[in-house]
Amino acid sequence: MKLSHSRSRRKAPASQRESAILFTVAGIVFAIAADAIDEVRNLDGLVPCATASAYQRLDKVKFTLERQGSRYFVVDAGAHFGISGAASPATRLMVMRSIPVAVLVSGIERMHDIGEVRPLPSAFQGDERRWYRGLTIVKRRAVPVVNADSFLTRAEFTLLEANCASTPESMAVAGA
Amino acid sequence: MTQTPPSRQSGESASFVLFPIGKKRFALPAATVTELAREDEPQTFPHTSPLLAGVLLRRGRIVPVCDVAPVLIGPEAPLRKFYLIANRSLSSGEEWTAIPVSGECELTQAGLLPVTGQLPGYVSGLLALQEEIVEVLNLDHLLATEACL
Repeated sequence: MKLSHSRSRRKAPASQRESAILFTVAGIVFAIAADAIDEVRNLDGLVPCATASAYQRLDKVKFTLERQGSRYFVVDAGAHFGISGAASPATRLMVMRSIPVAVLVSGIERMHDIGEVRPLPSAFQGDERRWYRGLTIVKRRAVPVVNADSFLTRAEFTLLEANCASTPESMAVAGA
Repeated sequence: MTQTPPSRQSGESASFVLFPIGKKRFALPAATVTELAREDEPQTFPHTSPLLAGVLLRRGRIVPVCDVAPVLIGPEAPLRKFYLIANRSLSSGEEWTAIPVSGECELTQAGLLPVTGQLPGYVSGLLALQEEIVEVLNLDHLLATEACL
């Protein structure tokens, strides 16, 4: 599914609205700016990546994806957010637009025009300050708006580039 | 919220909201309390902040829920039934914080006694009521101490 990036601006104030993709990880709904995503696709073509066991923080990267001549590191969103025993398997891959990262998620809910992205309350002091741009409200639910750049740090990229040895055969990973 | 009669007075009298957590009662200055809300399942999403139990939507605001019961009375804290919502003044502005409490709250007028003995730093004073001594909490200090903020 290739995404079109038409900007629908239905409700005022336009300056506070943006198109987002609502996706789920183990039943939890997240939002990410539609502009940050280049493609949503199935799990075909993932190649196991043999880095992670050596670097615990990189356990969330288990695959790579060759796409249009570039290699993307595939981050398991459940592992990234520390959702232990993710109840629902990954079924979709969100390929980021400006960084070589793709993210395994349980599902895509829909495109949605989100309103104001509110800053995280100060009580949030952990990794979530890096993970999220803030919170938005969708149908009386507080939904975290994910920071697309947070899935891999620059240091993690460097480690992966140096150490991720993809095995040659690709692998279908239904239920990864 | 019910209202208790004035207690033994000491020092300048002020209003406090008394709230139970388990069998023990604590107090916050009434001026900082915004409302007492009925039980409502907090909305949760991944985070790594201690004590944070999720958020509530109240009057258009996203209110973090900080469960301080394990700090105040230990891990055996019974089920909390209500949320006491307090307004905190932070450097970034004012922010509401919801504290799960075990039962109905009371409004009382009492004099704030200085802390005596070895009490945690988040206790800003004591209220000597008719049958109990109640610790008045400094919520900012409590949450900062326990890394909720």
